[in-house]
Amino acid sequence: MTVVAEPSKKLICWSCGSENDADTQFCANCGKLQPYIPADYFTFFGLPRRFQLDTAALEKQFYRLSRKFHPDLYARASADEQRWSLEKSSVLNDAWRTLRDPLARTEYLLGLAGIRLEEQSRNASDRAAESGTAKQPVVPPDLLEEVFELNMQLEEMRMARAGGADDPEARGSLEAAKQNFSAQMETSQQDLQRLWIEWDSAANANDEETQQAAQRKMVDLLNRRSYIRNLLRDVEAALKG
Amino acid sequence: MAYSDKVIEHYNNPRNVGQMDKNSTAVGTGLVGAPECGDVMRLQIQVNPETRVIEDAKFKTFGCGSAIASSSLATEWVKGKTVDEALEIKNTDIVKELALPPVKIHCSVLAEDAIRAAIGDWKKKNVVAGEPASAPVAVAAN
Repeated sequence: MTVVAEPSKKLICWSCGSENDADTQFCANCGKLQPYIPADYFTFFGLPRRFQLDTAALEKQFYRLSRKFHPDLYARASADEQRWSLEKSSVLNDAWRTLRDPLARTEYLLGLAGIRLEEQSRNASDRAAESGTAKQPVVPPDLLEEVFELNMQLEEMRMARAGGADDPEARGSLEAAKQNFSAQMETSQQDLQRLWIEWDSAANANDEETQQAAQRKMVDLLNRRSYIRNLLRDVEAALKG
Repeated sequence: MAYSDKVIEHYNNPRNVGQMDKNSTAVGTGLVGAPECGDVMRLQIQVNPETRVIEDAKFKTFGCGSAIASSSLATEWVKGKTVDEALEIKNTDIVKELALPPVKIHCSVLAEDAIRAAIGDWKKKNVVAGEPASAPVAVAAN
């Protein structure tokens, strides 16, 4: 089966009238800055929507575009061009900050796929409030139990440590807890990368079912990760304090 | 961002911190969490089976000041109410009482979730004849 790509919309250069691709930043013919058209961060950088990303290449592109969009270059240009250079510079910074960070990028691309992590919990709360029933947890109940227990242990260790002047046993438990949480963070990072690959290959193969399954796994992983991240932060604070 | 005086007051003097026997049939336990901030909150209620009045409530929260204050306030409010009255407590009431800023509204949502989860657990343990455990609204007391 052959897939015929739809001819994407063209962008006519405001200055020389030549035809460019819709996501063009500078006219291929006259080099003039083109209007800012709101687009997602991947499109803005001319990248496919994928979780895996060559951040070194992205960085180069970022610095290259930063220079080319720089408002100083347009100080004597038309008001329109001045505005576009400001708009593009601002979006460029946001896009760079989001895409270079693996977690921010993951959440962003999940968002483009229609999943808002912070809304999941809120939606579950709303449904529960409407029906007057207990909230359907967005994380597995046993994870909550586990996190609660870990927090209790952590608190005991902190108190033991606060009681005795640096009780070596309590410090040892805290160190062990820190290693445990760090290892879990590490594992979750590797698991996340595996899910990226799963999703990206499925996206290349137009396999929506696999994509959705990978998305769901990513959401579970990220939810779990935010709890572990907090525990790690707390144990580190306890060790320092 | 500064916490309101009421949040600070609850944070410094949290009411009803503690634990109840979660295996007791008179006790309902709600354990809820907000993955976006990593908070966990456990709220427990002890209910009189005759009157369905919540006679005692305890909580333990690992989270920010607003989450602690919200759950502390929730335990104060549910005490003395029937389970059905307690279900009427809305997170917006908590927001108002504690003057929570918009970024902390989810803490109050967590507290409302915890109340509902605790009551749900208690109802599950005390299935009233003729009333399914998951009934959204309790039948009139008889």
